[in-house]
Amino acid sequence: MGVPYVPVIGLVGTDLLARRDDMVVATDPFGSGVKSVVARAMRPDVAVFHARQADRSGNVSFGYHVEAVMLAEAAAQVVVTVEEIVDRVTEKTADGAFLPSILVDAVVHAPFGAHPGGLTGRYPVDREAMRAYAAAAQSDETFAAWLDECVFGVDDHDDYVERFVPASIRGAVQ
Amino acid sequence: MSDPRGYNDDELMAVLLSREVRDGEVSACGALSQIPATGLLLAKHTHAPEAELIILNTVFRPFHTSRQFHFLAQRGELGLFFVSGVQIDRRGNYNLHQLGDPDHPTLRFPGGYGGGMIYYCAHRTVVFRTEHTRRSLVEKVDFVSAAGHTAPDVLRLGGPSKVVTPKATLRFESGPGELRLESVHPGHGIDDVQANTGFDLGDTSAVPATEAPTAHELHVLRTVVRPLMLETGTYARWVERAIAPG
Repeated sequence: MGVPYVPVIGLVGTDLLARRDDMVVATDPFGSGVKSVVARAMRPDVAVFHARQADRSGNVSFGYHVEAVMLAEAAAQVVVTVEEIVDRVTEKTADGAFLPSILVDAVVHAPFGAHPGGLTGRYPVDREAMRAYAAAAQSDETFAAWLDECVFGVDDHDDYVERFVPASIRGAVQ
Repeated sequence: MSDPRGYNDDELMAVLLSREVRDGEVSACGALSQIPATGLLLAKHTHAPEAELIILNTVFRPFHTSRQFHFLAQRGELGLFFVSGVQIDRRGNYNLHQLGDPDHPTLRFPGGYGGGMIYYCAHRTVVFRTEHTRRSLVEKVDFVSAAGHTAPDVLRLGGPSKVVTPKATLRFESGPGELRLESVHPGHGIDDVQANTGFDLGDTSAVPATEAPTAHELHVLRTVVRPLMLETGTYARWVERAIAPG
């Protein structure tokens, strides 16, 4: 959208609003006296998506429906990891959400890149790995250990897939 | 059928929610809302054939993503919304975020996308809770996810209408901004409801009994709605267990 802030109906009186500094209650500048929340625009430095397919120009077919375009438009840089690189993706051939290459800065070939999440229509969530992640996230110490093992402790993406994506998930690919 | 009432709590709540749907209105429920989804379909096949239903995450949805639903509500086109709250308080606030000290919660929940907007935009929101206890109906929620009452100069298109539980229906009085006991479901007593509610229900001497599900409502629920819910996929396993086959 490119605007600095936007009015939102709701949220007044919530603890959510009380705990955020990017939303305030403001009075209608056109003189009605009515109040509503105004939210500061989010301008992320980077947005990262995982999708089903992309071509070498950066056109992306997600393979599922997702509100990707608004986030890609808002972010300064857009990185998309994909299950497969194909010859050509167009809005007509795309399945689900489509990102045109003009919004995309980098495409990375990363099969099982959603793991431990799942990819709709392709492979399911790895529930055991999710449980382990949720348990590790309970404290800084256990989370640091999880990062050391699953993120910093792998040579590259192929090594991650080899060590952490179970055969049951790899075998489920549709 | 083992339940002497001739229906179970899930069927009762689905019937009570269905009665809140008005013909011709847009009525919706979120994802993970099996009882409201059942209630919406039941209304459509009983008294509200022209109701437009939005049941997120199932086959009954007009939009691919949440953006259009969000803006539909914000435009004031949503008549009725069903939402659940982990805690609901006397003032009609609900909590879908976390329990305990706000800075050190003991339990966190998904938060509920959009509830903090829809509660202010849908003309009526009916809050449902499958547990009627002093921990679910509280004097004050640990965290306000959406507020029941706001000052008159705050932009708001609608608000809480009722709270439905397996024991009773509470009605939100917008004047004082408080919940009042509307009716007590068959088989439950007013004293039992007050004992299991974490706030004072006030004078309950004239509170009537809820009209029990009719034979027609239960028949349509089991013979028409149940097969439709099985088709959704999303709720198939739940409906097999919860709604008796016709």
